[in-house]
Amino acid sequence: MENQKFYYDNKIVKLFVLATIIWGVVGVIVGLLIALQLAFPVFNFDFEYTTFGRMRPLHTNAIIFAFVGNAIFAGVYYSLQKLLKARMFNDVLSKIHFWGWQLIIVLAAVTFALGISTSKEYAELEWPIDILITLVWVVFGWNMIGTIVKRRVQHIYAAIWWYLATFLGVAMLHVVNSLELPISLTKSYSIYAGAQDAVVQWWYGHNAVAFFLTTPFLGLMYYYLPKAANRPIYSYKLSIIHFWSLIFLYMWAGPHHLLYQALPDWAQALGVTFSIMLIAPSWGGMINGLLTLRGAWDRVRDNASLKFMVVAVTAYGMSTFEGPMMSLKFVNQLTHFTDWTIAHVHIAGMGWNAGLVFGMLYWMIPKLFRTKLFSEKLANLHFWIATLAILIYAIPLYWAAVTQWLMWHEYTAEGFLAYPNFLETLTQILPMYTVRIIGGTLFLIGFLIMVYNLFKTMKSGSVEDNELAEAPALVIQGRRNPLQETVHRWVERRGVRFSIWVFIVLAIGGAAEILPMIFIKSNIPTIESVLPYTPLELEGRDIYVSEGCHTCHSQVVRPFRWETDRYGEYSKIGEFVYDHPYQWGSRRTGPDLARAGYVGGPMYKNAAWHYNHFKNPQKMNEQSIMPKYDWFARKDVDLSMTPKKIRAMQILGVPYPEGYDEVAVDDYMKQAKEIVADLKKSNIDIEPTKEMVAMIAYMHKLGGDIAPLQLDEGTKEPAPQKEITLLSGVEDMGDADEVFTKICAACHGPSGKGIATFPDLTDAQWINGNSPSDVYYSIRNGNAVKGMIPYKDQLSDKQIIQLTSYILLKLNK
Amino acid sequence: MKIISNLLEGIEGIRIFYIFGLLLFFSLFIIILIRTLRRSNKEMDEIKKSILTDDDSNETAVS
Ligand code: HEC
Ligand code: HEC
Repeated sequence: MENQKFYYDNKIVKLFVLATIIWGVVGVIVGLLIALQLAFPVFNFDFEYTTFGRMRPLHTNAIIFAFVGNAIFAGVYYSLQKLLKARMFNDVLSKIHFWGWQLIIVLAAVTFALGISTSKEYAELEWPIDILITLVWVVFGWNMIGTIVKRRVQHIYAAIWWYLATFLGVAMLHVVNSLELPISLTKSYSIYAGAQDAVVQWWYGHNAVAFFLTTPFLGLMYYYLPKAANRPIYSYKLSIIHFWSLIFLYMWAGPHHLLYQALPDWAQALGVTFSIMLIAPSWGGMINGLLTLRGAWDRVRDNASLKFMVVAVTAYGMSTFEGPMMSLKFVNQLTHFTDWTIAHVHIAGMGWNAGLVFGMLYWMIPKLFRTKLFSEKLANLHFWIATLAILIYAIPLYWAAVTQWLMWHEYTAEGFLAYPNFLETLTQILPMYTVRIIGGTLFLIGFLIMVYNLFKTMKSGSVEDNELAEAPALVIQGRRNPLQETVHRWVERRGVRFSIWVFIVLAIGGAAEILPMIFIKSNIPTIESVLPYTPLELEGRDIYVSEGCHTCHSQVVRPFRWETDRYGEYSKIGEFVYDHPYQWGSRRTGPDLARAGYVGGPMYKNAAWHYNHFKNPQKMNEQSIMPKYDWFARKDVDLSMTPKKIRAMQILGVPYPEGYDEVAVDDYMKQAKEIVADLKKSNIDIEPTKEMVAMIAYMHKLGGDIAPLQLDEGTKEPAPQKEITLLSGVEDMGDADEVFTKICAACHGPSGKGIATFPDLTDAQWINGNSPSDVYYSIRNGNAVKGMIPYKDQLSDKQIIQLTSYILLKLNK
Repeated sequence: MKIISNLLEGIEGIRIFYIFGLLLFFSLFIIILIRTLRRSNKEMDEIKKSILTDDDSNETAVS
């Protein structure tokens, strides 16, 4: 048979490699920045563009889509051409793919810093960029399938099945999850609301892990591991079985996050079962990878590329075991909302994804540049530093998760929360956050060593942009001959047909998850007292979304006693029906805010408190790590957008009256002026159009609709007189001092002198009188409307008497 | 958190989707399993080795 001459396109591979390296460094540096911010809030720089809420999505997106994304493309473009013995289908498509993807990344970085975000995790980009992603993704798929069609080999090697599954899976996920209604170029509302939005988001979230961080990497593993080890993969049969079962199972098991929260018991059980079953195909992959090195371990010892691959495959095995475990209900109680999740994703991200990328680069770059690796020693150094970094990163976070969870649900003998002040449970784990910074720093150092090593390698060689190769043309085979061919062989011989099969398999799983969500919408029981957001609250909510407050605050109280005691009544599905998008969050770095507006609940704070807190959280709680948001008091809300937003909400089904958009701004000003007047009483002057006012209104909306609103003074029990014997013992004073600094100091100041407008407990002015009984009832019954929490549900009688004594005997001598 | 659970429990016929999907999965799985196991080892070996025989698969450049 005659050989055909053709050229491999190496230039496009080189471009993707360079992008991988550059974005990788950026992504890790931003990661380090946000780690610093969590331990030391000064690193927010009091600058709105660099606050944690905006930087965290920048980090996750930079790592996932910029670093890992470009690495996938580099790996695919290199291996696809070699495996199919063909140049990429079309050079123009390759170029559009490369430059389009880099444009998306730059746009993402800029828009996140500006606070343009939909707040849906790993899908934060606004709609114009979403459309751009869809286009570029289609170009990638088109280019890939085109290459498969014009290939010069019969068989489509296993790696390529994974690439195809990646293309199809991500396309499906991205389109469904990004459906949103644009308001302007930079703002849109998710078409899904509340629980339904949460279901779609986590269907996306988990499967993005599957189809962006798992399937393409298994593909890369099936090519680069055998290549680097120069041995065939252990079992090709295993690779077939594990491919089909993995892509089928993932789509089903994906949303164990939401299965735990959002489905009937039998469906939850099914989801958990699928998650557990997923261990089998995942480990099939791991075993296939590790056994490939059977008899070649001596080579692993002195080859950094292989070492990284071994760590990657091992980390993959660990994470895919841990993940299913985390989907068990009783484990999930602990891991959800704590740092466990963060540790889990970093084992996978730094070990599996980054590890495989490093291994691939150390092998591929010398090949591509037709030279030797500049220094195998430095590569080995990188390996050890990176491995150590992963451990130093993850172990403290597991520790932190367990510590914090234990503190969250610990009760005193009297039946009160042992740590009613959330901040205390955070302060306890801050040292772990400091250790994590060391882990991150080491990882960055290792990365930079690699960059140096690789650039030196590139310098010493050169890429042949168009590399000549030869292969015989593919003879098109006729109809299937059942005697000689198995069905699978026949199917996969034809790339397009194979893609269709993969799509069908994915779609079955996808449908199984999407269907309930379609049903949910029409089945959500509405709660009559839950009203749509007023224009002011809506604007406040949009600021909340744009600032990424959900990166630290959840808005959903789970039905555990230790949550309802701390935050208030547990959340009902009907409360979220007007939430476009939902804001449940996934990590509680700060306290849950679902009940922040529930007057009389443990979370309620009055307007003056919020004002002072947003301006400077560290003034209210010295150890708070919340960033300052002092620009809320300076920046105006763009009221010209408000009517548009109301109309958009109407389209999405929020029942505002007909023509409400025309009076929305009037209503806005009316409500804003009430808050302004309230703040005025505390001697705070602010204009009604400021962001601060909208934010306070939103905070007071949260959970406010279900609160038994009794704003009249009638809520206060007329303080009866009670015989109180003050306790002056050293021990009592010590106990009281501790509680006071933990809980009361946030408003009354550490020495009781009162912060901002909160009452000074050390002077001679008393609002409610200063007899022991008066003070006792001031603490016991509080004054919810004014912002003094009724502590009878959080402190024991003895503690309240101790505090009364402390105030009267020590603070107010 | 069961806030949505109670709701889906009330949706009639939803269980069917899951049962159908499960059946489909298992039958597909069994077919693929049997077909795969019956393929000849020689053919598998050829495919496995094929990726190592192109021009750049002699020893890794490093070492
Ligand atoms: C870096 C994480 C972080 C971010 C981002 C963050 N917060 Fe906080 N927040 C905290 C922590 C920690 C606390 C508890 C300590 C305190 O009260 O300052 C807190 C407390 C609060 C409280 C008081 C809760 C209570 O009643 O005790 C409110 C209200 C609040 N945050 C609102 C917001 C809003 C609104 C945003 C976005 C504009 C935001 N936070 C962004 C970490 C964060
Ligand atoms: C969220 C802010 C906040 C916290 C936390 C807080 N208080 Fe208060 N406290 C207030 C406000 C506001 C008032 C004034 C209430 C009023 O006007 O009736 C007040 C009033 C009081 C009074 C009555 C003062 C007077 O002049 O009659 C006492 C006593 C008191 N608080 C004690 C405590 C103790 C003890 C704690 C800790 C267990 C505590 N407070 C925690 C906000 C707070």
